[in-house]
Amino acid sequence: MTTTVSKPAETPRRTRGTKPRAAQQRAPRPRATPKRTVPPRPPTQADNAAAVLSSAFTMVAIVCLWMTAQLLFLGSVSQHRAQDLLYDELRYVLAGPPDKSPPLGPIVPVGDPVALLTIPEIGLEQVVVEGTASGDTLVGPGHRRDTPLPGQVGTSVVYGRSATYGAPFADLPDLQAGDTFQVTGAQGRTTFTVIGVRRAGDPLPQPVAEGDARLTMVTSEGGGRLGAITPDSVVYVDADAKKAFPAPPGRPTAVPQSEKAMAADPGALPLLALCLAGLLALTLGVVAARQRWSTVLVWVIASPLVIALSWASTDVVMRLLPNLI
Amino acid sequence: MRRGIGAVGALLVVLAGLTVGTVPQQAGASPAEPVHRAAAKKDGFTETKTLTRQFVQPDGSTYSFPSHTVTVTADQTENLRGRQRIHITWKGAQPSGGRASNPYGENGLNQEYPVVIMQCRGTDDPSLPVAKQLRPQTCWTASVAQRSQITRSESEAAWTADLDAAPEDKERVSGVDPFPTAEECPTADIAPYYTRLTPFVAANGTTYPACDADHMPPEAAVGAAFPPSELAAFTDTDGTGSVQFEVRSDVENESLGCNTKTACSIVVIPIAGLSCDRPADPMSRADQACRKGGRFTPGSSNFANDGVDQAVSPALWWSASNWKNRFSIPITFGLPPDACDVLDPRAPTGFYGSELLAQAALQWSPAYCLRKDRFKFQLNQISDEAGWNNMEAGIGVAAEVSSEHDRRGTDPVGYAPTAVTGFSIGYQIDKPDNAGEFTNLRLNARLILKLLSQSYVGSDLGRGHPGMVHNPVAIMNDPEFVALNPGLSEISQEVGATVLSLSNSSDVIQQLTDYITQDRDAVDFLHGKKDPWGMVINPEYENLDLPVALWPLLDSYIPETESDCRQKNPSVYFNDLAAPVTTMRKIAEALLDAWPNVQTRCDFDPSTGLYKLGRIDRQSFGSRFMLGIVSLGDAARYGLRSAALETKPGRYVAPNDRSLGAAVALGRQSAKYQPFAIDQADLRKAGNAYPGAMIVYTAARLQNLPQEDADKVADFIRIATTEGQRRGSGNGELPEGFLPIEKKGVTAELYDSAQDVADAIEAQQEPKSHPTDGPSDDTGSGDGVDSPVTPIDPPADPEPSTGQDPSATPSVPPAATPMPATEPVGSTLAGGLLPMLILLGAIGCVVATALRLTLPVLRRRG
Repeated sequence: MTTTVSKPAETPRRTRGTKPRAAQQRAPRPRATPKRTVPPRPPTQADNAAAVLSSAFTMVAIVCLWMTAQLLFLGSVSQHRAQDLLYDELRYVLAGPPDKSPPLGPIVPVGDPVALLTIPEIGLEQVVVEGTASGDTLVGPGHRRDTPLPGQVGTSVVYGRSATYGAPFADLPDLQAGDTFQVTGAQGRTTFTVIGVRRAGDPLPQPVAEGDARLTMVTSEGGGRLGAITPDSVVYVDADAKKAFPAPPGRPTAVPQSEKAMAADPGALPLLALCLAGLLALTLGVVAARQRWSTVLVWVIASPLVIALSWASTDVVMRLLPNLI
Repeated sequence: MRRGIGAVGALLVVLAGLTVGTVPQQAGASPAEPVHRAAAKKDGFTETKTLTRQFVQPDGSTYSFPSHTVTVTADQTENLRGRQRIHITWKGAQPSGGRASNPYGENGLNQEYPVVIMQCRGTDDPSLPVAKQLRPQTCWTASVAQRSQITRSESEAAWTADLDAAPEDKERVSGVDPFPTAEECPTADIAPYYTRLTPFVAANGTTYPACDADHMPPEAAVGAAFPPSELAAFTDTDGTGSVQFEVRSDVENESLGCNTKTACSIVVIPIAGLSCDRPADPMSRADQACRKGGRFTPGSSNFANDGVDQAVSPALWWSASNWKNRFSIPITFGLPPDACDVLDPRAPTGFYGSELLAQAALQWSPAYCLRKDRFKFQLNQISDEAGWNNMEAGIGVAAEVSSEHDRRGTDPVGYAPTAVTGFSIGYQIDKPDNAGEFTNLRLNARLILKLLSQSYVGSDLGRGHPGMVHNPVAIMNDPEFVALNPGLSEISQEVGATVLSLSNSSDVIQQLTDYITQDRDAVDFLHGKKDPWGMVINPEYENLDLPVALWPLLDSYIPETESDCRQKNPSVYFNDLAAPVTTMRKIAEALLDAWPNVQTRCDFDPSTGLYKLGRIDRQSFGSRFMLGIVSLGDAARYGLRSAALETKPGRYVAPNDRSLGAAVALGRQSAKYQPFAIDQADLRKAGNAYPGAMIVYTAARLQNLPQEDADKVADFIRIATTEGQRRGSGNGELPEGFLPIEKKGVTAELYDSAQDVADAIEAQQEPKSHPTDGPSDDTGSGDGVDSPVTPIDPPADPEPSTGQDPSATPSVPPAATPMPATEPVGSTLAGGLLPMLILLGAIGCVVATALRLTLPVLRRRG
């Protein structure tokens, strides 16, 4: 990504200095004429340094702003789309199709939808997917794999993002004791009643009664004026349900480090290297194509590729960041 | 077993071992004293007989040779186990001549006046039915030549002139009635040659005529799994001799079939020469053969394996006048290792861990499984670390470990001292010139380090290893070793470059390497300093971080040779030499068989047309040299010798009761329920303590162990530290190689600590504050947290709170249980990311714009 975005900054200098042949061929272009009025003079060292610095800062700016944009805005587009698809898939598997078993546990493939979480108080309707690694919570709240599914007997844990990629759990701390919400899973619908919001230092809730279900929703939040974009601590919302469905035995007894709260998934590094290599290849491709075709043509073709690759790279970068933001 | 199960309790009381020297002898400064003690009842055997050779002269008178009053003793005869070696000594016998380098099996036949020792089924009691009596037909030999004389000329038929033989045994063919047909044994009955068969009657009743190799029991096949154990031993010129005789149970030799129910004997026949009948006139050639008195002088050797005079050779041990000279030592076998699996259908309770306890567990487990009021104890031998993990994870109720281990879970663990034993460097070394076994090996830390670090080049193949050009080929060529152990052969062998060790993680290796680090010379050597004779450490091991529980194989040198075989099988030469194994039992057996685990034999396999690498051959007697790390229990059981290790400069200590006790006395307990650490530095200071002494602990959780299991572990500790510490060979008793833990003396602290830990394990209520360990019913606490996992706290997220909050759900009625606080989990990265991105983006925009604007200015000015 970095190399690509630096391209526009460099473009004018290249056309002027290093590509005389191309310039001569397109001599009638009006843009080139006025520049020629200044007598050409070899660029000084200061010129070069300034140009490089300028490009570098432009590049930094584009990288950072692109990421910010994707985290806050573009990510929510993809998350909403993923939710639409997941909702369809969940509807399909809950209907009991012959070719797919409904998500009952103890083991559900990671990334599959497991339940629909509906919290009217904060206008939340999200499909919960299996798995809590950074990459899983990109598409929606994730169910921690070593706990029973939401609605089953025991304490289930669901992780969700609060600031980026649609921020499904952004308003979670607004819930109050006594609020009710529904979870629809493969075994049926369960109505939970919120016990309370819990932050660091608060006592844990009383142990769940025999045969009851508890749902602990986990997200992050920040404090102060920029609270919405500085989620630095973990917050929990506990809710109980009197009616619970049986939980099949045989769950995993532990999850990998990357699926715990605020954990990142360093396993994405190789993929990131691949994405960056793709961007590099694209850059070189653009440079090569520029020698043959006009700038407009090249950018018309390259832009969608650049955006797609940047988007994919940023998704991968997200996996390297904590799973609750 | 004759006693039957009901008598087991009585057995537990006392059956002790009075033994001599099967256990490592002390060398150097301290006097010899084996690791055991005589107890109330005497186990063992002593008998004295007067043996006389007589000739009936042609005139009918009797000429008697001077008599020999022979006394035979054996140290252990009760509750033997398969492959156990017992020490048999004798005195007053006719000195032997023509000593063979290998006295075992048919290799020992060409000797004169030896002492034949063999294992036979049955006992020497005329009141028993014939089937239970000892006869030549029930004595085991591994070859035909040892039991039958087939198609001999008359001059080789001395037995037909035997004074004591029955008339039918003096026939031309004898031994079996009816004699096998020509179809069955074509070579047996060929006139005018003489044949005498001594058939073998197997335990299941099958009779093998023993007329050729095809008519022998399956265990006597060529290349059978076990080498012959019967031998023709050599009597020194003073009339004394001793051997370590290896007994075989029906597990090793089914045809012989000795076990806990079938009584057996060890038959010792000092060959005094045949007594001869009145000769024919003129004297027949058989008569002349019978009257021969040997061609070798007493004490001489027979390296060329020349023929000997038959009348004084061991080949005719079955002949009546030899057979009547026998000493039969009745022996009984203990329960086989699988007795509990067979006799007790209950599910076993698994204890996991140290192999050091193996021999004790073998005797202990029947004392549990044969009693209805006790649980079924089972020791599963795995590495200490794995045993510890099993205990923490709840797979095993307790672990048997011999050092302190890191706790991974939240439950406190108590260590109950269960046995005092250790390891030793076992060895099997022959003195040169057929002078018998070497018995007082001494080693120091630097020599052990040289062996472990693969610093000897092994053979010419290793000489090309970079950085080791001037190193000796093997330890027998090392001037340091020669100075310490003079008088040994300096002919190098590949096996002398290594000590057979363990390939997996073990507390034994941890302690051995700790011992090395306490020796300044060894540490200097480790760091690359030359020893006084110019030897340097293998560069691959230089500055290795010691101590380690798992000795690494670091060398990667693949020799370049002309050998076709090695070019097709390139392998790391020094690793082939070391070839460590997984259990100390395998090392003990390799020593017992003198069969090094060196994998450098490279040969051509005609069936596949390929070259292959493999284990070298068994070592030949007379030139055996092998070192290996063994447990003291195995060393005592199999009669292996243990090297004395240097403590203070010039002071060498071998394992025995006193040196083990001195080591135990140095143990320091850091806190209640904790192990007694024996600091190797203290040990060197003390000087009289054996560096390989180790205390084996039963480690179990003090919390959250199911009460049923907790009771079993507590019972085990109490029984093991009381009746399990009585020495003896019976069920429930403590075998040799262990120092008993007693209420008084140096082991008093261990005893007290064991009782305390047993109480704590039974109580299962160490102060607890953690609610995390709720019952893990699969509906309850949803979390991966009641399995004890300590957070490895990644910087981004101190995780435990997620662990705790869902898990705080023991299924207790909600009666306002005091709950712990939610632990803070946070991430500065998470909080700072977005502001930082926005800030950086803004700065980038501003600076880039500013530069863009100033560029034309600069240009104009320039």
